[in-house]
Amino acid sequence: MDNLGYLFAVNVFVWGGIFVYVFSLIRRSHSLKKDLDLLKETLKKDSGNE
Amino acid sequence: MSDASQETDNPGYGLMGLTAAAVLAALGAIFIYVPTERTEGVVQRIMYFHVPSAWIAFFAFFIVFLCSILYLWKKEREWDIYAHASAEIGIVFCSLVLITGPLWAKPIWGVWWVWDARLTSTLVLWLIYVAYLMLRAQSEPGSTRAKYAAVIGIVGFLDIPLIHFSVLWWRTFHPDPKFITTQGIGTGNETSMNITLMVALAAFTLLYFLLMSLRVRLERMKDEIDRIRKERLYSH
Repeated sequence: MDNLGYLFAVNVFVWGGIFVYVFSLIRRSHSLKKDLDLLKETLKKDSGNE
Repeated sequence: MSDASQETDNPGYGLMGLTAAAVLAALGAIFIYVPTERTEGVVQRIMYFHVPSAWIAFFAFFIVFLCSILYLWKKEREWDIYAHASAEIGIVFCSLVLITGPLWAKPIWGVWWVWDARLTSTLVLWLIYVAYLMLRAQSEPGSTRAKYAAVIGIVGFLDIPLIHFSVLWWRTFHPDPKFITTQGIGTGNETSMNITLMVALAAFTLLYFLLMSLRVRLERMKDEIDRIRKERLYSH
């Protein structure tokens, strides 16, 4: 039974799934870091105005 | 207190490199090293993804169970963070188990799915932890949410022994354990198959720890943002 193509597709699917999850974690992390940096900058400006 | 934004600058390159090397070694073992199984052919190699995914899902839910107990006992946010992160990773790997299983079953059994004890109890496990994540997503952050989530995290884990012993207690379609058997560890497989499985298990375990470090860092950043927002609100 030659199912090499099938096995390759399963392999791509498994690693693709893991990659999508890692990518979503990195994307969420970048977005949160941007928010955090913005907040810190605003906080700095606020303390400078006082 | 640790600075979450500084932590993101150091995503653990050592662990990343080690995981990448282990994953490459596992792929090499699965596609080059291990011989093709006589009766199932190349499709049997799906097991080297399916079994480690199941191991990581069970391990992740065990960490949820452990951290949930520690949260209820000590009431420290840190344990809630670990439980939440591990549950999410557990769901990812449990989903892979539920997908790779039918992908193996179709060419071997002739059907994608049968409602036998092993498959059904694994689906129930997936549903329990999806409910866990839905509860967390739909309720306000705080100790009440963490407490309810911890209870689901503990109760949900009780399904895992049921999954493990289901193939021994009931007549199921699912194959009996080949790696850990009543005769000992690794007695049901050839040595090359055991080595490949162990390399794949090691790679997936490292992957779990890498994903945990990324996911925990994310949760800490959220906490840091909440803390700064609250401080700003009270200072005005």
